[in-house]
Amino acid sequence: MAQVLMKDLNKKYDEVHAVKDVNLHIRDKEFVVLVGPSGCGKSTTLRMVAGLEEITAGEIAIGDRVVNDLPPKDRDIAMVFQNYALYPHMTVYDNMAFGLKMRKFAKAEIQKRVGEAAEILGIHDLLKRKPRQLSGGQRQRVAVGRAIVRHPQVFLFDEPLSNLDAKLRVQMRVELKRLHDRLETTAIYVTHDQVEAMTLGDRVVVMKDGWIQQVGEPLELYTKPANRFVAGFIGSPAMNFADVTIQGSDGTMTAQGTGLKVGIPPSMAGRLAPYKGQRVTLGIRPEDLHIAAGADQAPYVFDAVVDVVEPLGSEILLDVKAGPNSLVARVEPSVRLKVHDGVRLAVNPERLHFFDSTSEKAI
Amino acid sequence: MVTAYLLLAPAVLLLVVVLAYPVGWEAWISLTNLSPLNDGGAVFVGLDNYRRLAGDADFWRAAVVTVAFAALTTLAKLALGVAFALLLARPFRGRALVFLAVFLPWAYPASVSVIGWYWTLSPPIPTAYSAFMGHLKISVDHALGTGAWSFLAVTLFNIWRGSSFIGVFLLAGINAVPPELFECALLECRSAWRRFWLVTVPLLRPFLALAVFLSLTTAFADLANVWLLTAGRVVFPVIGTHAYWLAIKAGEFGAASALSLVLVPFLLAVLALLFKAFDPPDEARA
Repeated sequence: MAQVLMKDLNKKYDEVHAVKDVNLHIRDKEFVVLVGPSGCGKSTTLRMVAGLEEITAGEIAIGDRVVNDLPPKDRDIAMVFQNYALYPHMTVYDNMAFGLKMRKFAKAEIQKRVGEAAEILGIHDLLKRKPRQLSGGQRQRVAVGRAIVRHPQVFLFDEPLSNLDAKLRVQMRVELKRLHDRLETTAIYVTHDQVEAMTLGDRVVVMKDGWIQQVGEPLELYTKPANRFVAGFIGSPAMNFADVTIQGSDGTMTAQGTGLKVGIPPSMAGRLAPYKGQRVTLGIRPEDLHIAAGADQAPYVFDAVVDVVEPLGSEILLDVKAGPNSLVARVEPSVRLKVHDGVRLAVNPERLHFFDSTSEKAI
Repeated sequence: MVTAYLLLAPAVLLLVVVLAYPVGWEAWISLTNLSPLNDGGAVFVGLDNYRRLAGDADFWRAAVVTVAFAALTTLAKLALGVAFALLLARPFRGRALVFLAVFLPWAYPASVSVIGWYWTLSPPIPTAYSAFMGHLKISVDHALGTGAWSFLAVTLFNIWRGSSFIGVFLLAGINAVPPELFECALLECRSAWRRFWLVTVPLLRPFLALAVFLSLTTAFADLANVWLLTAGRVVFPVIGTHAYWLAIKAGEFGAASALSLVLVPFLLAVLALLFKAFDPPDEARA
């Protein structure tokens, strides 16, 4: 059990500055997910914690120890890799026991720990097999087992589910969550999949181009994204964006774009007042758009034309055009609309997002 | 069914013509007294040729030298090859140049390498260096017996050229192993020596076995380099040169055939063992 502290962490390769001034305090027993597109520096950060990459500048502490100069083996961490990294020449048992053998644990203790882990993960019957005789899901269980037998202070996961098929990924996601609740060990988890990040993380760290964009609890990232990148990255389908100009006086402000005009609720007027006459980016999540009904007030309603209809069973994704803007609305499955139909949409005014056009920060 | 055999026919024909027929012919000849010096055709003599070999001290000397040559060069090439491969597997400044330097002995045509090596050991122009090498040759032969210097020269040449090939071959092997496997070992074990034996060697086993396979077969068949380096003055015999002498110089085709075939069962046994190592059936089944 330990906290992990990253202070002004930087990683520079010859020409690439992969990780920039990362400051992060991961609490004891916390499950923190680093998420971002490829090349954002999330894996490099994790590998610096593991000791597989040298730290260019800054400091990493695990527990009370600064580990910058500690070899990986002495950092008391265990890592799970994307492609499992099981030794093909060893049985499942030997794979799981390898780290303990290297640390000269007594044979009885090794047997006990491997047995426990195998029990937790339901792989008792596989202990005598070689990795090649296992399915992808079983291999990943073994890889996780190899990590938990060590009883490390911190678990490091590097995209552990990315090699699994979609169904198995969902299943293993749930298992990992259950496992973390049971073991209560600090965990750092890297993924490019925002759904994994949201479902697994106590807190989620969104990264891009080596910078941390935002750190927060999953719902906080969703409802209060710090900038346009986070807003677009978290959530599926992604948030709709449209270029608009802020117009009107204090009482009746509107966001006016080409083919799109939406009223600004009084609760946001104060924040947007300095932007009067300027261009900003409007963000609307698909579920905050619905087919207009009598209860919707006129300023929050606009006309659009249906472009694509995507029925998903539990809901319909409606791709519409409002002027040049392409928007996606998540609507009731009972809605009957065809391509090229006109449709009146209403926004949920309290859940509009606005972003500065140049800094892209949330307003 | 018939179509399948028809489609296989060209390959089978090729194997029969270039492999089965010559080997079969040689096996047959080894049981006869065929020689251009005898009148008439080949006369079946049973295992006479083999019986004669068993009592021939020259044969035993050649056999021992051949096995020693193959074993020595293979071990040395393997050790050097692994070192080259591990060195080249990690990025460092000037890696491309080192790679080139390592690979050059192999990439050069044999004749050029041989001449270079020959002149390194016996320089054509009299200098202090050539005098030194001359003395070295005499003292080595004096200490270890005549032919020791030639044996050393051929062995070192084979190692020099072969380790370059095995190094590059094993580098390809290392690159084929997912890096996470080595990283994972790094997380568990600090001693590079233990990691090497517990992780690197088992992971490279198929490649190592194939390297030994190639090294052994070429060492056993390495008549050309021995011939080129010693300019035909074979002062120490290997099976290859001995058989060549018997057949071409002495005209004893039957005895020469027996001689070249006598190490084949031994070689086949070693190769079968190696084949098991680089194609493990229990893993292939999964």
